[in-house]
Amino acid sequence: MSCSPFDLRDYYLKELTDPQQRQVETHVKDCPACREELQQLRLTQAALFSLRDEEIPQRIAFVSDPVFEPSRARRWWAAFWGSGARLGFAGAAMLSAVLLFSTLTRTPPAAGLSSADIDRRIQQAVYASEARQTAKTTQLVHDLVQRVDSERTLRLVAEDEAKFAKEQQFAMEKSVGAVLSPASN
Amino acid sequence: MIFRAVEDTDLIRQATRGSVESYNLLVSRWEKRVYNYLLRITGNREDALDLAQDVFLKAYQNLRKLDDPGRFKPWLYRIAHNEAYSLFRKRKPEFDAEDVEPEATGAGIAVGGTSVFPIELSLAVASALERLSPDQREAVVLKIYQGFKFEEMADILSCPVSTVKSRLYTALELLKAELAPISPRGVS
Repeated sequence: MSCSPFDLRDYYLKELTDPQQRQVETHVKDCPACREELQQLRLTQAALFSLRDEEIPQRIAFVSDPVFEPSRARRWWAAFWGSGARLGFAGAAMLSAVLLFSTLTRTPPAAGLSSADIDRRIQQAVYASEARQTAKTTQLVHDLVQRVDSERTLRLVAEDEAKFAKEQQFAMEKSVGAVLSPASN
Repeated sequence: MIFRAVEDTDLIRQATRGSVESYNLLVSRWEKRVYNYLLRITGNREDALDLAQDVFLKAYQNLRKLDDPGRFKPWLYRIAHNEAYSLFRKRKPEFDAEDVEPEATGAGIAVGGTSVFPIELSLAVASALERLSPDQREAVVLKIYQGFKFEEMADILSCPVSTVKSRLYTALELLKAELAPISPRGVS
């Protein structure tokens, strides 16, 4: 096993951090065993690199077939939804539209009225209400007076009629008595 | 106007917008590397070419799903790995990478402790690689030949970094035992 502070293979394959790489370098300078281990790795890699890359026997290429190719509109649509920036812009535009619609359709508030105006309007409304109440009361009193007068008139007429009837009866009884008294005398 | 080299990310962006020409240019940049990766894990040129074509077709069909164009390389190799293992399983339904014995080929030669000519060395390397298990061989190919970091390899192979390191270091020990004694000292 290696006495290196970190795995020599990790060092050789450059998988260590910079400080770790430096630590191993310092160690290797004074350690013949680790130097030999690294030399073995170098030789192995050199041997592996003797196996050259081959050329591809047949180049790969694709042709565009209009039958299968998406239409211009579909490509634009796909690109639109595939683009984060455009999507963000579309979202912002929709939000703006909603805000604008909301602003236009909202009932406007009673803007521009001072507290004095508001007091004056309340006062006017109170006056109007009181005037309506007074007129109604006057009408009620007037109707009541008329009703009382009417009832009194009817009562007086009835009393007069009763008195006249009584007098008629008395007069009749007197005249009958006058006729009968000479006969009895 | 500012001129700059066209990067893979530019080509990917144009390809996702339907530019087949851009995708072909992207393919031309990667086809040799992908082909050689597949060649080294399958050991068969015909399979490697067929698989490479399938890989680039699948990559084109799924290019819009690639969230980060900067991660194109490991993403592409993950497709290549999946396609290769799908082929292995199709041929051997009970395929298990740990259990597979390397196939004997005409390239295998006996490796002794004496120095060899470059052609013999490359044959010895091919033979030594063949003797590794498929998982070990793929780890060597991804790290030594393709230069991936452990994290990327774990992503491609869908396994933990510890597994990746274990496979790679076991393979390197075996290769070192076979190849280091015969490797010309001046090559490195």
